Amino acid sequence: MKTVSIDRSKCVGCRNCEMACAFARTGTTCESQESNIKVNHYLDERVLMPMTCLHCSEAWCMSVCPAGAISRNADTNAVVIDEDRCAGCKMCMLACPFGNIHFDNEKLVSRKCDLCDGAPKCVEHCIAGALKYEDMNDNAAALRCKNDHKLIAQAL
Amino acid sequence: MAKQEIKKSCCRMCGMLCGIDVNVEDGRVTEINGNKAFRANRGRICIKGSSGVTQLYNPERLTKPLKRTENGFVEIEMEQAMDEIAEKLQSLQADYGTESVGVWKGEGIGFAQQEGLARRFIHGIQSPNYFSNDTQCFAGRYIAYNMVFGTWPCADLRNTNLAVMWGTNPPASHSYWTQDINDARDKGAKLIVIDTIYTEMARLADLYIQVKPGTDSILAWGLIKQLIDQKMVDNEFVSKFTKGYDELEAYAQTYTPEYVQEKTGVTPEQMAAVIQHYRQAGKKIANWCGTGLEHQANGVNNVRSVGYIDALIGAVDVPGGMMTVEGFGARSLEIDIEPSLMSKAIGREQFPILYGMRGECHTLLLMDQILSGKPYPFKGLVMTAADPVLTNANTGKVEEALKALDLLVVKDLYLTETAKLADYVLPAASYLERSELQYNGINQTVMLTEKVVDLGHQSEYELFKGLADRMGIAELFPWENEDELNAWLIEPTEMSLAELASHRDGYQFKPLTYEKIHRALERGEKPFNTPSGLIEFTSGHLEAIGMEPLAKFQDAPEYLGVEPDEYPLVLMTGARKVMYFHGRYRNLPQLEKVMPKAQVEMHPADADRFGLNHGEKARVISAYGAIDIHVRVMSAKEIVPGAVQITHGFKNANVNYLVGDGITDPISGFPALKSVPVRIEKIIN
Repeated sequence: MKTVSIDRSKCVGCRNCEMACAFARTGTTCESQESNIKVNHYLDERVLMPMTCLHCSEAWCMSVCPAGAISRNADTNAVVIDEDRCAGCKMCMLACPFGNIHFDNEKLVSRKCDLCDGAPKCVEHCIAGALKYEDMNDNAAALRCKNDHKLIAQAL
Repeated sequence: MAKQEIKKSCCRMCGMLCGIDVNVEDGRVTEINGNKAFRANRGRICIKGSSGVTQLYNPERLTKPLKRTENGFVEIEMEQAMDEIAEKLQSLQADYGTESVGVWKGEGIGFAQQEGLARRFIHGIQSPNYFSNDTQCFAGRYIAYNMVFGTWPCADLRNTNLAVMWGTNPPASHSYWTQDINDARDKGAKLIVIDTIYTEMARLADLYIQVKPGTDSILAWGLIKQLIDQKMVDNEFVSKFTKGYDELEAYAQTYTPEYVQEKTGVTPEQMAAVIQHYRQAGKKIANWCGTGLEHQANGVNNVRSVGYIDALIGAVDVPGGMMTVEGFGARSLEIDIEPSLMSKAIGREQFPILYGMRGECHTLLLMDQILSGKPYPFKGLVMTAADPVLTNANTGKVEEALKALDLLVVKDLYLTETAKLADYVLPAASYLERSELQYNGINQTVMLTEKVVDLGHQSEYELFKGLADRMGIAELFPWENEDELNAWLIEPTEMSLAELASHRDGYQFKPLTYEKIHRALERGEKPFNTPSGLIEFTSGHLEAIGMEPLAKFQDAPEYLGVEPDEYPLVLMTGARKVMYFHGRYRNLPQLEKVMPKAQVEMHPADADRFGLNHGEKARVISAYGAIDIHVRVMSAKEIVPGAVQITHGFKNANVNYLVGDGITDPISGFPALKSVPVRIEKIIN
């Protein structure tokens, strides 16, 4: 199954992903705080870290939700929140080890990445090519190739 | 069931022309996505691109022509507007001479054929005065690269071993290059960024070099000396393909590491690291200059001196180096004018190279001429998609001059700050409302964009044809519509419009090839389109007009000559933000919310020095004007101390009130947008 893969070494922190996510979600604003994907910038260490829901196979947010508001989309494999069922207890936010669930202070429900029903806007707007929507096995294969090429270059 | 279709176009929310898939439902655009099959952007677009939907249906868009009256603007019919504009242009030409009127094209709407149409029209009515935004962005680099290489080369970023970005920030200005650079990095390429600001691009860099504003060329010459001293010059390439090496070698001797450090702030160790990267990369090296180098009093020579590096290494017309790309072979819309008329072109005497290479007049001198009437009166201007009140240097003078015109016509999507000064404002059709030819040089592709929707707005062709018909030059615009025009343009390529239309993901007209210069030499042809036919360290164009032919560092930055007590800081402007394009898109609500206010970006030490806090408002003052603006204190590593940065295009804190038009590059006439002497004061209520 496809998910959003992240190559942090390619991220420039342009925040097109955040802006696109915020707009896809709200239809009114591109402000970063409305986005479900977040890019952390550690300037002194020169590290950029884009982060969004990993749609874990064993999704702790889903198991812990007392309202049964979190489920898996059969088509995309996305872990999604039904905001009509969400009680706003924030248990999912506590359960997520990565901080990838956010709280909507107006609607008083949790919100998270839903993979835009299989066409994630963050990936489309990643002008650096740091985000991809792909099967993680393909991602691993590409990584292996990349390392192979480095070794080949060294050997030649 | 709604009728759904995907139409193919090129994004024109900036100048990069990414391929886009436009979703149309029942005749209405619902979404814009990146075209995955398009070679340049490979399915990815930026937030400006997808916001094109909001722009298309923005309620602020003009729908009817406006005419200025004693009671302000009134709506009139298009026929009346066109009749009156044509009549007024004719009467001005009769009273003051045919050269007393001009056209000015901007970047705001993205007409591909707009420039050619504007030039054809103005020359057709016997005026040499064509103006554009390019004389503040692009033309300086175009001149510089053409002086050195005889062409506008393209950096082969995807295949390079070493990309060196000088004063350019692709994530904000050339979005898909970011992807190209990352593709090269995947294959082991390195990236060096040379900039006064720690930009988005700099975050990826293997080596980030912070320079003092306006000193890039001193660093370039320092590197040239090192290449010579360390025997890294490709002597065979240089002797075969270049002119003026001896002069270059002699001049470079002054640029010792110590001297370079004193002037630029770059240490000998940093320079050695750059040289080491050059050494390791072989010939797959691409140095590329952005507006950071162009917007200086030494702008053209900044860019030329960086171009010398590629030439000395022989990184030209090789994979991963500076590519010399080929054209499609389509027709040009330009028509010749009489030499006696050409000699009256505004700025031609002062900047003969600008006019000679670009056929462009000088916008800053235009303002002086409007106000003085010297050397001849200039009375009428037709502007399309330009907003110089926000984007030209010395806004105070721009406003005064434009108000002094007898006729100002502005065609745009919106009632821009410039349109507010106009006598007539004409609503324009956007890029999604037209079919046009769009080119991508790096990939050698052409695309005929689809007319996605028709909202009933007058196209650019209709404007110029309409005026031409009324002014007695109908024969110059014989095509019934833009499709016929497009067919005429591509006729020499032996490709029909229908055939081109079948390549909606872009058609590569020629495969990318390298080593063309060697084959040219073998055939006895000139390998480069310069006066000597070679790469020119000493420019034949400059020799011909008696100017210094080598790209010596001619002028110190403007601020170095100014009393530091009065103006202790140097202001840099012209750097873009990701979500805006020059003066555009502050009226797209979702983007405006991201950065609603202009900011003066400064080093924490400078903020301390002037007692300023992050978020508060301060007054920035230059010899030309003052603006009140919010303070953004950056991290100490993000900006060079002693300099402040203000992005242009904010109408409530318009930085161009501060920027002078007095000191310009002697070759291109560009204003020194990146080195404006200023002071900053706390606002005490």
